Amino acid sequence: MPGSSWRLAVRRLLVAALVLGGEFAAFEAFLRWQGGSEAAPAFQQLFMPDDAIGYRLRPGQSVVFTTREFSTPIAINAEGVRDLEIPSKPAGERRIVVLGDSLVLAVQVPREQTFCARLQDRLNAAAPAGVRYRVINAGVQGYGPVEELLFYRRVASRFEADVVLVVTFVANDAVEAYDAAWRLDGARHPTVAARDETERTVRRWTRRSMVLQVARQRIEQLRDRAGATAAPSRPVASYLVAPPAFITDGIGVATRALRTLVTDARAAGARPAIALMPARFQVDPAEYERLRSATEPIAGPIRLDAATERFTAAVAPLGVPTVDLLPALRQAPHGQFFAETVHLTAAGHETVAAALEAFLRREHLLDLPAATPPSPSPAATAAGP
Amino acid sequence: MVFNSIHFVAFFALVYAVYRLLGHRAQNVWLLAASYYFYAVWDWRFTGLLAASTLVSFGAGRALGRADVRASRGRSLRVLWAALGFLLAVLGFFKYAGFFVDSAVWAFSSIGIDVGRPALAIILPLGISFYTFMAMAYVVDVYRGELAPVASLTDYALFVAYFPHLVAGPILRAPALMPQFAAPRTIRASDWSTGAWLIATGLFKKIVVADNLSPMVDAVFAPAFPAAGGDVLIATYAFALQIYGDFAGYSDMARGISQLLGIELNVNFRFPYAVTNPREFWRHWHISLSTWLRDYLYKPLGGSRRGAWATNRNLLITMVLGGLWHGAAWSFVLWGAYQGVWLIAHRGYEALRGTGRRVSRVASIGAWLVTLHLVCYGWLLFRARSFGQIRSMSWALLTDWRISPEVVPEIRTLIGFALPLVLLHAYEWWKDDLLAVPKLPLLPRYLVYGALFYLILLFGSFGGAQFIYFQF
Repeated sequence: MPGSSWRLAVRRLLVAALVLGGEFAAFEAFLRWQGGSEAAPAFQQLFMPDDAIGYRLRPGQSVVFTTREFSTPIAINAEGVRDLEIPSKPAGERRIVVLGDSLVLAVQVPREQTFCARLQDRLNAAAPAGVRYRVINAGVQGYGPVEELLFYRRVASRFEADVVLVVTFVANDAVEAYDAAWRLDGARHPTVAARDETERTVRRWTRRSMVLQVARQRIEQLRDRAGATAAPSRPVASYLVAPPAFITDGIGVATRALRTLVTDARAAGARPAIALMPARFQVDPAEYERLRSATEPIAGPIRLDAATERFTAAVAPLGVPTVDLLPALRQAPHGQFFAETVHLTAAGHETVAAALEAFLRREHLLDLPAATPPSPSPAATAAGP
Repeated sequence: MVFNSIHFVAFFALVYAVYRLLGHRAQNVWLLAASYYFYAVWDWRFTGLLAASTLVSFGAGRALGRADVRASRGRSLRVLWAALGFLLAVLGFFKYAGFFVDSAVWAFSSIGIDVGRPALAIILPLGISFYTFMAMAYVVDVYRGELAPVASLTDYALFVAYFPHLVAGPILRAPALMPQFAAPRTIRASDWSTGAWLIATGLFKKIVVADNLSPMVDAVFAPAFPAAGGDVLIATYAFALQIYGDFAGYSDMARGISQLLGIELNVNFRFPYAVTNPREFWRHWHISLSTWLRDYLYKPLGGSRRGAWATNRNLLITMVLGGLWHGAAWSFVLWGAYQGVWLIAHRGYEALRGTGRRVSRVASIGAWLVTLHLVCYGWLLFRARSFGQIRSMSWALLTDWRISPEVVPEIRTLIGFALPLVLLHAYEWWKDDLLAVPKLPLLPRYLVYGALFYLILLFGSFGGAQFIYFQF
């Protein structure tokens, strides 16, 4: 009978929904217990909402983050950065505040192995009598140039920096700046704001659920394999020979944010500097080849160092000493990056620390007096090995 | 085009949509065209070889059915051997020429004669071992009078090239399949639920179990890895699950896909790791191959009719050739010989012990454990890539029970991926029904379906890895 078959179908649907819902919760609990992903509560506890920036690191939080490749203790200090506590600057101390994203925060390695800590060790090993260097890791996962500016204003400007070093990740900073441009301008169009808010809510919920995070990865994998995407993933667009408008616009926003940050830093008596961090595939020919073969059929030709070249050209007019970390990482032995994440290994951090030390010395950024602006560097200089 | 690919999903969706719109004869033509497309996606040049094998065996069947040929045993035999000769020559050339040439060169060089090394770059056509055996079985069945020659070339060509089984089996038999091609088919709701269940479990076995265990197995069996005995043991257990998940997964998916088309394929695996002796193992593992070897090799050699020595000889020949069927390498020959010797030893043991005795539960568990480990040791022979590796790994198993630090975390991986499969099969084995889950009441059935969905979604390897048995 039509009535009974309808009731049967509804009953089955209800049972299916209940089962899927219940098992969703069970698998969510299992994955959270197992850990190993940034969706894990242990990792998410590191962050707190922030009206101006969106989010930032939660002061005083301490977790151990474990994946298949690493297990790292992460402690956030009272100021909200992954570093030791930061008292008032004693006499003879020179401070370098390093702003950036996950490549600076570096949850993949213990704090002592991050390039910030290694740079501090290197500088102190050759410090003149009476001088100590303090390199402060002010990186936050997921930040772009706009958030870095806002974070500097809200948090890092208190650190009495002598040098403010902004590490720009050339692969995705244009995209992130483009997305965060409204924060720089103050307000969004209500329609855009509503759409962005919806997208962010979906992203936030997805980030909170490990099951949803994996489901999103699976959908992306299947779309990639099917060649169903009409465009490459957004960061890869930074490497297109003919990039879409959001990349060129994003580089414009990034440059604007960096210029403001440079002005703020100089006003606070610090010397600004920029380091350009490459993507992993820029130092791995095999990975680049895979990316190229997957991207070019759907989006046109890409160029290995296109994003680095674009950022080098974009920041040159700022008149700030700039170092490209690509040559140093390219000349280093294999193993500078983890296999399953795009982040630096301990060896990679050591390479970056050495390159930054050479850069700071070459550009006389460690010289006194700190308040004197350095002579502008006309263009990016490549770091030696 | 593998079953676990987006390309196949799109291909099958189109095939199925059109299939449902067509009448019975047109369905067969459509499936034949789809099957040749499926094969051509891998390499269109070898569709000619598939067609040639089809035409030769079909022609031989027709000839054997003619009254004048049937009347003369000599003429029947000539037709039979001409067809089998062609099929074996094709299989021998494409699959074994390089192997025999290399072996001959090695044999000559070992006695100091340098005959050079001819450059042979022969591509192994996908699925050639499967469709050749099917065509041979058809010709032999017609010759024996057990099967009437197929009248329709379309139906016969579809039997040989039918895409669900084409590249990795099961090895279909004409008496079971031809009637399903010849008659109109009805697709029932139960075909849908059974087909979907088989596809889902096959996908689970392949992308959750087999593909996730593969990196561990590859790492330990890598020639440069200094494997301790514990490592070898763990990797061999993992390979036993990997090869089962890979091959049984493919067979399940093939059956499920075919079921959606209203065509039933034979079961190829039936709890092979739950058996208590080698004879049972071969009745439960790759059933379509072991029954083929029994019917078209072991029995024609004389089977067990001519005394113990002849039986043992026939077993050894059958299993060695069965090993060689898996690949042109001496390690497969060794694996086949190992299986043959084990079967012979088991026959001897049964002769001594006597059959029909009641076996205690403890003895059954002991027999199961021994059988499982002897099967696993066979997989070590199968997976190893050199005799040197077999020797070193076997020695490590006997003398060195350490587990390397890099292998310790893999124990959790092995248990984690094995557990859901073991639980599923334990229930099916207890019910003695491979389709026990679709027969459960609504709530527990949906619980299993949901768990399978999440396991595939969360733990499946979506890289589209190839199936091990494609190389055979």
